Amino acid sequence: MEKNARRKVALVANCLLNQNAKVCQGANYPGLVNPVVEALRNRGYQLLQLPCPELAFAGVRRWWAVYEQYDTPAYRAHCRRLAQAIAPLIEQHLRRGDEVILIGLDGSPSTGVRFTSSKPDWGGRPNRPEDDWEIVPRRGIWIEELEAELARRGLPPVPATGWALDMGRYDEAGSRRDLEQFLDGRESAAGRRRGKSAAK
Amino acid sequence: MNTDSRGWRMALVPDSLMNPPQRARAALPDVLGILETNGYGLLHLPPPGKHALLLAVIADQVAEYAHHGYAVAAIGVHGEPRDGLHWRRLTALLRHRGVTLPPRHLIRADVAAAVERQRLADFLAGYDLPPEEQRRWRV
Repeated sequence: MEKNARRKVALVANCLLNQNAKVCQGANYPGLVNPVVEALRNRGYQLLQLPCPELAFAGVRRWWAVYEQYDTPAYRAHCRRLAQAIAPLIEQHLRRGDEVILIGLDGSPSTGVRFTSSKPDWGGRPNRPEDDWEIVPRRGIWIEELEAELARRGLPPVPATGWALDMGRYDEAGSRRDLEQFLDGRESAAGRRRGKSAAK
Repeated sequence: MNTDSRGWRMALVPDSLMNPPQRARAALPDVLGILETNGYGLLHLPPPGKHALLLAVIADQVAEYAHHGYAVAAIGVHGEPRDGLHWRRLTALLRHRGVTLPPRHLIRADVAAAVERQRLADFLAGYDLPPEEQRRWRV
């Protein structure tokens, strides 16, 4: 019975399960970001880790960068390759009717969902003063390319939010509340839909 | 952000341990919990099937870590095809990238979960790169 039951599946940004993927000085945990894992597992979600596009492209010793620096044809082609690698697994879940959500990394130039980091004049010798980039409401490059790949396959958009790890100042309690509201909001909406169809 | 909390260690984890089916949960240790307690990150391997491109992408990531001072281990499941790790394919990809194969720890579902939990915790706690390699990279 379990085999055919509708599953809940969370696509999780690579670094939320492995902080070693973060750019230097960007890791806030040794390994897993446990509040994310707990919030998802407590609500019955399976986890599907996404590849880290920056690590595989620019390496573990890469410089910090903003959206505009990664917005190149070569990086987008790289992201499309990663999307083609992981999309068959996502497609399998969506085709069988599983509930699929995406938890990205807000503020990230690549994996941002609600927000990404922007500074059009960044470039050249890396000597920027601290915190001079801006946070803008936009997807990161990797999420844009992943969503485009899913759309190419005729799949519906996946509901998504971001864990606010790359927003400049990190607030774990606030991020946890935010994620739990997103997850519980989905539960409530699903409950209302079930109630309506039972009343028909 | 002036500090960095990365643990420099991670494990390859099969899908069957990331997302164990309900009926198997009591028989298996909580691998994610043990990884978290020991400060490990993870790289999730896909379920059985053909995943040539995804395995190549994962091998690229392992190579990048292994060549820059990170300790990568593998946790498999005894009795699963290729230990749940796509081991034959993955080892070929890693060798091609000049990576020394990660040490492998196999979990047995036919042994009490508490025993396996302790065995895994001991393995993870005891594993890291030699001190001279750590000093070279982890500044």
